[in-house]
Amino acid sequence: MSASVPAAPSAAHLRAERWRLRARSIRAFGRRYVRRTDGVVGLAILVLFAIVAIVPQLFVGPLETATTATGRSLEAPSGTHLFGTDELGRDLLNLTLHGARISMAIGLLATFITIVVGAIIGIVAGYLGGWADTVLMRFTDFFLVLPTFVLAIILAPIILDLIGPEAQLFGIRATLLVIVIVIGVTSWATTARIIRSQTLSIRERMFVDRARVIGGGSAHIMRRHILPNVVNLIVANTVLTFAGAVFTETTLSFIGLGDPFQPSWGQVLNAAQSSGAPGLGAWWYIAPPAACVVLVILAFTLVGNALDDILNPKSAPRR
Amino acid sequence: MTEPIVAMGRRQWPLPRQADPDAPLLVVDELRTHFRLESGSVKAVDGVSFTLNYGEALGIAGESGCGKTTTALSLVRLLPANATVVGGSIRLMGIDLVPKSEAALRRYRWREISMVFQGAMNALNPVRRIRDQIAEPIEHRLGQSPAAARKRAGELLELVGIPRKRGAAYPHELSGGMRQRAMIAMALACDPAIVIGDEPTTALDVMVQAQILELLEDLRHKLGLSLILITHDLSVIAETCDRVMIMYAGRVAEEGPVHEVFRRPRHPYTQKLLAAFPNIAADRRALEVIPGAPPDLRNPPPGCRFAPRCAAAMAICTDVVPPELTFEGVRVACHLYRADGDGLPVEAPTLATVGVAVDSTAEGAA
Amino acid sequence: MGGRYLARRGAQALLTIFAIILLNFVLFRMMPGSPERVLLRNPYLTQAKIEQVRAEWGLDKPLIPDQLVAYTTSTLTGDLGYSLKFRGIPVTDVIGQRFWPTILLIGLAEAIAIVVGLAIGAYAGWRRGGRGDRIGSGISLVLYSMPYFVIGMPLIIIFAAGFGWFPTSGMLTVGATYPSIVERLVDFGRHLALPLATVSLGLIGAYSILMRSSIIETRSEDYVTTARAKGLTDGRVLRAHAFPNALLPMVTIIAINLGYVVAGAITAEVVFNWPGLGTLTVDALSARDYPVLEGVFLLLSITVVIANLAADLVYGLLDPRVRT
Repeated sequence: MSASVPAAPSAAHLRAERWRLRARSIRAFGRRYVRRTDGVVGLAILVLFAIVAIVPQLFVGPLETATTATGRSLEAPSGTHLFGTDELGRDLLNLTLHGARISMAIGLLATFITIVVGAIIGIVAGYLGGWADTVLMRFTDFFLVLPTFVLAIILAPIILDLIGPEAQLFGIRATLLVIVIVIGVTSWATTARIIRSQTLSIRERMFVDRARVIGGGSAHIMRRHILPNVVNLIVANTVLTFAGAVFTETTLSFIGLGDPFQPSWGQVLNAAQSSGAPGLGAWWYIAPPAACVVLVILAFTLVGNALDDILNPKSAPRR
Repeated sequence: MTEPIVAMGRRQWPLPRQADPDAPLLVVDELRTHFRLESGSVKAVDGVSFTLNYGEALGIAGESGCGKTTTALSLVRLLPANATVVGGSIRLMGIDLVPKSEAALRRYRWREISMVFQGAMNALNPVRRIRDQIAEPIEHRLGQSPAAARKRAGELLELVGIPRKRGAAYPHELSGGMRQRAMIAMALACDPAIVIGDEPTTALDVMVQAQILELLEDLRHKLGLSLILITHDLSVIAETCDRVMIMYAGRVAEEGPVHEVFRRPRHPYTQKLLAAFPNIAADRRALEVIPGAPPDLRNPPPGCRFAPRCAAAMAICTDVVPPELTFEGVRVACHLYRADGDGLPVEAPTLATVGVAVDSTAEGAA
Repeated sequence: MGGRYLARRGAQALLTIFAIILLNFVLFRMMPGSPERVLLRNPYLTQAKIEQVRAEWGLDKPLIPDQLVAYTTSTLTGDLGYSLKFRGIPVTDVIGQRFWPTILLIGLAEAIAIVVGLAIGAYAGWRRGGRGDRIGSGISLVLYSMPYFVIGMPLIIIFAAGFGWFPTSGMLTVGATYPSIVERLVDFGRHLALPLATVSLGLIGAYSILMRSSIIETRSEDYVTTARAKGLTDGRVLRAHAFPNALLPMVTIIAINLGYVVAGAITAEVVFNWPGLGTLTVDALSARDYPVLEGVFLLLSITVVIANLAADLVYGLLDPRVRT
């Protein structure tokens, strides 16, 4: 055996190697994922809704308003109106598909805020430990105990005042932005807890010590070493958080915090409730948005559980 | 050595109705247990036979994964959902347990065969008191009143060296050694004929280990118990058992009286196992390891399963399953021994007769 | 049970309650401009009048510690201010009459769900993979994905509007007179049935799924193998060994879940127009009646904290390992 030491690989070579490894693990993950029928079904449903959510006008044209309503009030489903009409004569199919866009967009933004806040707090608390950890965790536990829904209801008008009723972001109006912020502010606690415990276990591992010896600062370690190892956990948690965000948004809209001009499914159900649809037996007003909400949440839950099982295997019993 | 007849005479409860009083206590013949996995069927126990007599202590030894625990669990059919006994017979006092339904088999659990599990850390229910867990089988299996059961539980605790008062404790309040004693007391609750110990001392430190072994010996002679001791630690078997059975990859390699097998191991695997133990009296030398790893039991090698790792492997070893032959009371399954031979191994193989299998060991040895 | 354990949990609960009061204070006094906006909605007030009212309400004193102390003491003595919507009526009165319908609804629903949900989950998880398990888990998963009002609305359509077995809203029939207390109870029961069914179903969905996972994990524990080795019947192994251990994480889950149950109950009340804290909250929201909202938040938070404390005590009763 020759005794010469091979030259150190170039940075570009290392990067290419890293991508090759990533590609391989992604392929392996894909193979394991398709084995789970529940995950595949959930994913299919989500893809379907995503398509509808991105371009609803492709299927039903622009959102119908009170002035552009095409039918009579509270018509049962028929050939012209597949899902019937609401009390203003608007086609329910139109409302449902456009509602998909609103509900999913709000869910997405709210999830983003929740995950970012939860991850930051979780990683910082887990990594720094000591009094920072104690303080942050007391704070987190406080939020876990609170009835966050009621808190959200109280925060909503306050935040609306703060950002002003004319605010807009990505074409989303103020009322709905408030919902996004409110969900983000109240839902981060579970994520923070999960990520913190994972950070704790990673911190104990040797390579973090090595990074510290080499001279990496805390922020650097948190970003380059802890974060990649927490990503698996975050991914599964994100999907389940998305389910929760849609759930919460629908509920908040249902009790009146929604926007009648950008109706999400919850807002449609709110209108249904106000116009007395249940008592009148107008099932077509309720069924489509309700079914969509349930399907989407169910799909997210299935996908989230599948991801969790694959990415974060719990130790199987021996023997 | 306890005499079998005396042991049976100490029995307090009547024999099962179907029992044959003249039959040996336990005769296992060609037992086969398979696990169903997504990737195939694991032949964890593939043709294991042995006999246990009244008052005897049999030790089952082997590496992890050789099937010793599965064999024991198969006796009372405590297997996980994906495992089944697919062949062979288990005759307890002449009664074959294999064809029995789950309900019929339940009768024999604990009352005839009980178990002491490894690492009593988790083998005891953490939310119930020790004495209640000991009294439970007395009450529910023997039909005694709760008061009588509790009284008997107290007696059993004293028997294993735990003060009666400590019976009110929960498992987490006891030390490892005391928990193991409690498990032994529990195993004796229904006065079984056989107690199976599955690695009963593995999780304990050496001093406690010695105490537990002493206790088992003591009880064995006092109560006339028959023991099956499963362990990978040969020194434990040497101390406590009358007979030893060495298992490898789901089959029996060698079986016989302890002093005979340990003094003159015949099977190459047994020789390697014994050689792997450092001898405190001998000169220092490098630890001998067995190269390679146990076979994948989804696709076990045809022929002798130890052949891929055996330094003495011959061509025949990879093709033909070695028959079990008995020499001077020791049963061994190895082609080095011929039925017509005198119990001595045949000539050591020359390069000409050596099969493909030896190449891998040659690599490791070099 | 260790007195130290009790004392520690009790102290933590008190601390949390104080934190909630502080949070309330922050929300309503420190938010920019809120006290003025909340209390003085009249745009025609002169500056002098504003100054006068501010002095009356103590708003000119520094926030900390004066306003904080004043706020805390008045809260602790039961003075939660006055409703804006129902002018002059103290918040405590407004909330008081709406409190027990909600407690009744949630309490009964939890009781039903704990019994039914845990039982379903235990049997489903024990016989994992069987037909009953797959059907039961499928239904539970769907229920788990449904906000409570999504459960409630179809119930109204089918059973109230459709079959007419139950009324569609309210707690008692409007304007009815009852010859006897039995009649009143029957009418109350008919009105309670659907809202109770709604909240119960939602909870059963969640509890059965979670209990099922817990039992599945417990099933592979060593002491369950020991119990089976003892030759005990399958039913006894489940009841005496697996179930009590699987129950432990559920106690924690039920406690943590209370915040969400409150949210769900609020929406269920809206659907059925049940005169409880839920409908009160939604009405107060649209009327921007902050004192009432504040009061409800305080009340619900404290209730959840106390319920969590109770759950901790129950956990201590069930698991001897935490009592030291």
